[in-house]
Amino acid sequence: MNQQRDAKGAAAIESLRTRIEKTDDALLALLQRRMTLARGIGRAKLVAGLPVLDPAREARVVRRVATRARELGMPAEEVRSLFWSVIALCRSEQIHARMSAARAAK
Amino acid sequence: MIIVTRPHITDAELDAIREAVERAGLQTHLSRGEHRTIVGCIGDERMLAEVGLATLAGVESVIPVLKPYRQVAREFRADPTIVVVGEGAGAAIGGNELAVIAGPCSVEGREMLFSAAASVRAAGATLLRGGAYKPRSSPYAFRGLGEEALALLAEVRAETGLPIVTEVMDTRQVDVVAEHADMLQIGARNMQNFALLSAVGDVRRPVLLKRGLSGTIEELLLAAEYILARGNDQVVLCERGIRTFETATRNTLDVGAIPVLKRETHLPVIVDPSHAGGKSWLVAPLSFAAIAAGADGLMIEVHPTPSTARSDAEQSLTPDEFTNVMTRLRAFAAAAGRTMAPPNVLHVNTPPDAVGAGAS
Repeated sequence: MNQQRDAKGAAAIESLRTRIEKTDDALLALLQRRMTLARGIGRAKLVAGLPVLDPAREARVVRRVATRARELGMPAEEVRSLFWSVIALCRSEQIHARMSAARAAK
Repeated sequence: MIIVTRPHITDAELDAIREAVERAGLQTHLSRGEHRTIVGCIGDERMLAEVGLATLAGVESVIPVLKPYRQVAREFRADPTIVVVGEGAGAAIGGNELAVIAGPCSVEGREMLFSAAASVRAAGATLLRGGAYKPRSSPYAFRGLGEEALALLAEVRAETGLPIVTEVMDTRQVDVVAEHADMLQIGARNMQNFALLSAVGDVRRPVLLKRGLSGTIEELLLAAEYILARGNDQVVLCERGIRTFETATRNTLDVGAIPVLKRETHLPVIVDPSHAGGKSWLVAPLSFAAIAAGADGLMIEVHPTPSTARSDAEQSLTPDEFTNVMTRLRAFAAAAGRTMAPPNVLHVNTPPDAVGAGAS
């Protein structure tokens, strides 16, 4: 009886874990898309003579997602900190894109 | 810089304040207390000169922090931090109830660990300590059972319910220790190992940070700041005696450090009387002094048979001695306005050492 219940529980966890992995893959694909967009911004900023770091824009992005997270019933504080990491990731992509664009221009 | 907000501030007002600070390139940290909410700002404060923070809706006052540490500073939090160790209800460190971490200096085998765990739990300890990796002054001394000890600690936690505290010595061990232990200890010799501090700051596990042998209070707080700066604010500080000219005791317990730390930081402060005195008969008086001075808990070495201990034999208490200290400690705790967990006798069946036993 107990063994049956254990087996059922283990199967349910395994199935949820598979779905979590699929969701992680989807998250990675979205992050990849965001990084590609960031590289585009990096190149556009180079052309426009603007610096990579734009604290005002970053602060606005974080405020927007925090508000949205709260509306969705998600913990706003954790979502903020997650997005600061996402922004840092994309900022470094912009820097790489700029450096390779500048090298290509030489 | 710290922004104290008006009571009943709205989320929208808080968001606006934080955006104003973050626009200037600084980070913000929110601390919601029972009576007030605080926004701590980290970064180049000169950038805030033109922001006019005091005029923003919801701001009550703006206070500069004139110390080298920020996030550990008392002012940075609305309320003192309570660190909860372990799953479920866990064991709280920093609340009104004293936390008592007890157990052997190092894990020497299954039988001694189970026996030590059952006896410290019975006497009212709230967490179990046990070294898997031991930093020793001599490279030829016993340096711990490593991963084998971590597995034993996880087993004993399942049996007794006591959360596990164990030391991590090297950045390469952080992941494996975090996998098994509930709280990661940074030993005195590693207090200023900044790579290790950053590494434990990256994992979401409470950290017990011990004061270095020659570390000043400010250096201890700055070491903790490294961990908080990486996003892990679950840090407990531990005074364990400092090196002085005195040789009668192993180290000199800096009792004065306890009220100074309690004044300077919101982090909990505990005391390790075993390492401070270095002799088992000093554990009781130093424990009483620590609690009288305001410590939030103690970390005490207990060994089923100290005479056979492979490390720190002289300073380990027997289970009976530990029970005696705990009983006498209750009066000091009450005088200091603190409570203690009641004795918690558990009938632990020590599993036999034989491989395969109990498998079905």
